[in-house]
Amino acid sequence: MKSALHNMNPAAKFIVITICMLTMAFFFNPWTPLLMWIGVLFIQLLFSRIDWKLWILFMIPFFIMAFGYFWTTLVFAEDKSGPVVLSIWSINITEIQLNHALSISFRVLAFSGLSLLFALTTNPVSFILSLMQQLKLSPKIAYSILVGYQFLPVLKDEFVQIQQAHRLRGAMQAKSVFHRLFHMRKILLPMLAGAVRKAERAAFAMEARGFTGEKRKSFYKVFSVCRLDGYLVSLFMLLLVVSCMSALYMN
Amino acid sequence: MREVIQFDNVSFRYPDDEKWIFEDLSFSVGKGEKVVITGPSGSGKTTMLYLCNRLYPENCDGIVKGSVVLFDKSSQSYSPGEVNHRIATVFQDPDAQFCMMTVEEELAFTLENLNVDRKEMDGRIEEVLELTGLTKFRHSVIQQLSGGEKQRIAIVCALIMDPEVLLLDEPISHLDPFTAKQFISWLDELQQERSLTILAIEHRLDLWGDFFNREIQLERINDANPMSKRISSRQEHQSLDVSGVSTGAFLKDVSFTLDRGEVAVLAGPNGSGKSTLLKALCKLIPADGTVRPSNLGYVPQTPEFLFVTKTVRDEIAYGGGTHAEELLDRLHLAAIADANPFAVSHGQKRRVAIASMLCDGREIIFMDEPTSGQDAASLVELFRLIDERAREGTTFLIVTHDMEFAFHVADSILLMKNGILTGKYDANQVWRDEELLSNHHLLQPKGWVEHEVCFA
Repeated sequence: MKSALHNMNPAAKFIVITICMLTMAFFFNPWTPLLMWIGVLFIQLLFSRIDWKLWILFMIPFFIMAFGYFWTTLVFAEDKSGPVVLSIWSINITEIQLNHALSISFRVLAFSGLSLLFALTTNPVSFILSLMQQLKLSPKIAYSILVGYQFLPVLKDEFVQIQQAHRLRGAMQAKSVFHRLFHMRKILLPMLAGAVRKAERAAFAMEARGFTGEKRKSFYKVFSVCRLDGYLVSLFMLLLVVSCMSALYMN
Repeated sequence: MREVIQFDNVSFRYPDDEKWIFEDLSFSVGKGEKVVITGPSGSGKTTMLYLCNRLYPENCDGIVKGSVVLFDKSSQSYSPGEVNHRIATVFQDPDAQFCMMTVEEELAFTLENLNVDRKEMDGRIEEVLELTGLTKFRHSVIQQLSGGEKQRIAIVCALIMDPEVLLLDEPISHLDPFTAKQFISWLDELQQERSLTILAIEHRLDLWGDFFNREIQLERINDANPMSKRISSRQEHQSLDVSGVSTGAFLKDVSFTLDRGEVAVLAGPNGSGKSTLLKALCKLIPADGTVRPSNLGYVPQTPEFLFVTKTVRDEIAYGGGTHAEELLDRLHLAAIADANPFAVSHGQKRRVAIASMLCDGREIIFMDEPTSGQDAASLVELFRLIDERAREGTTFLIVTHDMEFAFHVADSILLMKNGILTGKYDANQVWRDEELLSNHHLLQPKGWVEHEVCFA
């Protein structure tokens, strides 16, 4: 039960989350995104074992963003008609203004909640493999992404090494953030040159293993769509319908 | 004997180059043979290997004259990827030949490419790991394995295709001598068990013993080894004093001293902490203990990591030293003073790196693995560079696996194991002591054995 979201077929998860996001884009009211966000939170509480500390950390920027949207829409609204419901200092806020502001900020929360649900419960390698098996993504693209992913730790090592070498030469002592950013260019250039060389080698290595980029007939790790995926997709759809209907009901 | 690879008057050049990489090359490799290709850097060894597995000319639009025949069929008549499972390749760089996270996934990737039935996959993976004695690595993450282990896994990935021919591109250049020896005898057993044909590129044959049946030289190498044993330039004046250097849990309490003009080699098994020690001494990673003086020079394995400017002259003067012009002359860099340091040859890059260290007043220079992947000519160049500088009073501490090179260049040897400095020894004492050497995964250099015979 607790691992249901982690075991869900990544491609199915991807599709259902994309559908939720696209549908929500057509509903401009505070209730739909709010309900969606709360629903997503509950689904995660029940069906996943994600690290909630990490979740909060990732959510912080989105909370700030949501509040920013809320405030700016409230203060700089164009449509200031309708009854005043609230006044802060000397600013009078009408119902329409408040509605707009809330729908925009809840939207930010709902979208980020959905994305985080996907990101925190999906293994990137499984996702790519599943895209290849369920959604017929070309192996050429799929394996390029996977190889790139393998190179990340190597590139990180290289970055640290160049940084150390530059520090030794006294090239990293620039205090200001601007200078540091400017200096990044000098670290990234040799890395870029090295990356091109590595990419060629990796491509050769793949071809030497008989990789041609054609559609493959058999997979070692098979990702299939099973009953669990059906249940979870229905759950998401139910949540989507409920949150969309709520708009009609509330208005 | 059946011929598996046949070159008939083959010439090759890249489309943008006027010059042929090699011309009118003819040779053939029979089934079950073990053949080595030798030649200096730039003589086209790797290019030739890529012609054998059909990576070239397709992938570089190269121009080929003559005919390459693989298994009695012209190489052009195969479609891409078709011949690769019969002629498998192991590349030189252990970091850039894997696509997946774990060993199992990597092997499965290879089988998927060959459209092997899913039911068979498990059995084949198990079988090949059993055969090679690497079953314990089945679920290991490849990037966390050591260089020697990665190189073995690369061979396993090649073997799982059931190839008839194995192409090896300098397979031992990243391994310490002991691990390399082990690897070679392991390969020898495999070859006999599977009756493989092996075609390898290598520029140093010392460690291979009588593994190969035949040698093909692409270009004549200067046989007379111009590297002779250095005459020590050690002076009675201490230049470096290291005491109690340690980092966290790994490096433990390292103390030693070096003299002016001394050339010391730091050796030990893969992963014994040699590079970590160099970095700790230069304060590139946090470390306890004292190092005097604190102004130390460091040349990483890739010297261009140090470069921050656009010309060699600026590069040398970058640290604010005033005698850049003089150093340009002394290190024979005047001719390329206005060139971009990223665009000069590898040997020159190293020269520039050393010059810029000296210009900063860093008279003690640490070099990390300057010998790996270098051919005979560039080793001689490196030897001369170190010799010249040492005679002018520079102190060197060099990390290397190459005991031939160490034998020629070193006054003293520092041995390391598991993050502990075993001790600093006089070079001749180390070469004599086979037990001490094998304890540190090292082998007696051939130069020393000959030397002994001469004086016996």
